[in-house]
Amino acid sequence: MSGVRAAVAPGPGGILVRAGVFAYVGLLVALPLAALLATGLAPGLIALWQAVSAPAAADALVLTLTTANVMALINAVTGTATAWVLVRYDFRGRDLLSGLVDLPFAIPTLVTGVMLVLLFGPQSVIGGWLARQGTQVAYATPSILLALLFITVPFVVRAVEPVLMEQDPAEEEAARTLGAGTFTILRRILLPALAPAIISGTIRSYARALGEFGSIVVVSGNIPYKTLTAPIYVFGEIESGRAEVAAAVSAVLLAVALALTLAARVIERLAGVTRG
Amino acid sequence: MRLTPHPTIYLLAALGLALAATLAACDGGAPAPRTSTAPGKSRTLVLGAYTTPREAYGKAIIPAFQRHWKEKTGEEVRFQESYLGSGAQARAIIGGFEADIAALSLEADVDQIAQAGLITNDWKAGAHQGMVSRSVVVLAVRPGNPKEVRDWDDLRRPGLAILTPNVRTSGGAMWNLCAMYGAALRGQTSAPKGDPAAAEKLLAEVLRNVGVMDKGARESILSFEKGVGDVAITYENEVLVGRQAGRPYEYVIPRSTILIENPIAVVDHYADKHGVRDLADAFVAFVRTPETQRVFADHGLRSIDEGVAKETAGRFAPVEDLFTIRNLGGWPEVRKTLFAPGAVYDRISAGLGARR
Repeated sequence: MSGVRAAVAPGPGGILVRAGVFAYVGLLVALPLAALLATGLAPGLIALWQAVSAPAAADALVLTLTTANVMALINAVTGTATAWVLVRYDFRGRDLLSGLVDLPFAIPTLVTGVMLVLLFGPQSVIGGWLARQGTQVAYATPSILLALLFITVPFVVRAVEPVLMEQDPAEEEAARTLGAGTFTILRRILLPALAPAIISGTIRSYARALGEFGSIVVVSGNIPYKTLTAPIYVFGEIESGRAEVAAAVSAVLLAVALALTLAARVIERLAGVTRG
Repeated sequence: MRLTPHPTIYLLAALGLALAATLAACDGGAPAPRTSTAPGKSRTLVLGAYTTPREAYGKAIIPAFQRHWKEKTGEEVRFQESYLGSGAQARAIIGGFEADIAALSLEADVDQIAQAGLITNDWKAGAHQGMVSRSVVVLAVRPGNPKEVRDWDDLRRPGLAILTPNVRTSGGAMWNLCAMYGAALRGQTSAPKGDPAAAEKLLAEVLRNVGVMDKGARESILSFEKGVGDVAITYENEVLVGRQAGRPYEYVIPRSTILIENPIAVVDHYADKHGVRDLADAFVAFVRTPETQRVFADHGLRSIDEGVAKETAGRFAPVEDLFTIRNLGGWPEVRKTLFAPGAVYDRISAGLGARR
């Protein structure tokens, strides 16, 4: 990717293309964001702070950020492991596994929520058994985590996979012949090479999780101060006609997601330079 | 490597410019899905409704009106129907969804459209004060009522699992809380009569037992059907329709509950703009005729027409102490005391914050 920076001065066609693409992305992405920020900031920064720090809003934001944090940590490990298995091993069902990894992108998240309720709801075998053990999954915080993990499966896997493919297995074999254990190989050879990809994939999954609505609204129970996440709080505020409050809380989610996405890009670029 | 623009990139650029041009050409209003109609012979009526009466309107009332109008005038009427949560539908209409008729769950939602200047007629003037159907708030329970839930006070019992939708997103949830709060204020529960603090305490104890707050009344009863919860606070008509469809739950009518009244109104601004005012007026009159009221009764709704109400009385259990939103001071007052920021509902949900 790196190294193809404008080799020639753009001709008139190139300028037109750039203007067109810029206009397209600008109108599609930047304009709605600007509308949101304008609404959120219209009543002033103090009003924004009051909207965000209202107990119910703050609690919903904390819940969203916490569940996203836990999800991100789990994803970093399981995603890397999945990519490792997909790249380093050739086995029956490998294509099936790879296809399954992409599936969450294709399933409407509302359906994800319904699936989880069917699996863990009080009427289901698993849900009933868990209830007898004193654990509640559906309509409780664990279900939020499960929904987030489900919808973000592809992020880390697909970020790590190409880097791992470039990584020569010979290095690992050499280390092994020299007597290095699995842990040392992981620490000295694999992780340094994979870290940027793991981090950027994790960050992207985190940003995606912040906005998740469809699955959580079905599966979490939506009780204020208990299982009500920020996007669903935002939805409630819109529905009860308080667009400024909704815009303020959305602006916080957006700022976090934007900062993280930019961070992911910076990490990718730095990694690109050191590799190249 | 030399970067030459690939032909498809021109296509992409053209697409972007076309999009920009399209957006610029839009007049900024929300898109209203209207089919073009030939002037004179056939006109289209746009109905913006809440979700509960979807089957009643779509399968029975609209076809009947089309036949009725054709016989009377020879004109074909086409319909466009939109069904959303009551509040969301009101906001869509205010935002530019050009519905000729608004049929909503809450009077307050039609009031909002009127306040936006889109309804200018005195829509509450008629014999039925602008209403078209009725229901009551009831308690759906499991077969045989194993938890022995008989009245509002039973809902405060610790360990009971209750379903009621989210007040922020559901008109039905507001009706539910009004029913309980009103019953308490009227001295029909263990709370002393006319004691708002005691009524608030009852609500708080009941809400503590609520484990799932779905988006709307329909989602809530669907969760109940999936086996969640011991009791669902819901509309009588949802339960009756569910039972007609063979769902195995029962229901209990609390001793004191609220009469739900659903309004319908012509949205003057859009009806005039589309030249369908006579049609819209005729439709609103049509839904109040005994024939149509019988259709609503078949879909579990109590009738506003006295004759039909008597006829169908056997299908709807009597309520000992039935009150209306006016007994609580009307919607503007109820919004202020119960649902405004910092009011009863906010205070109670802040009290639920045991997690912190």
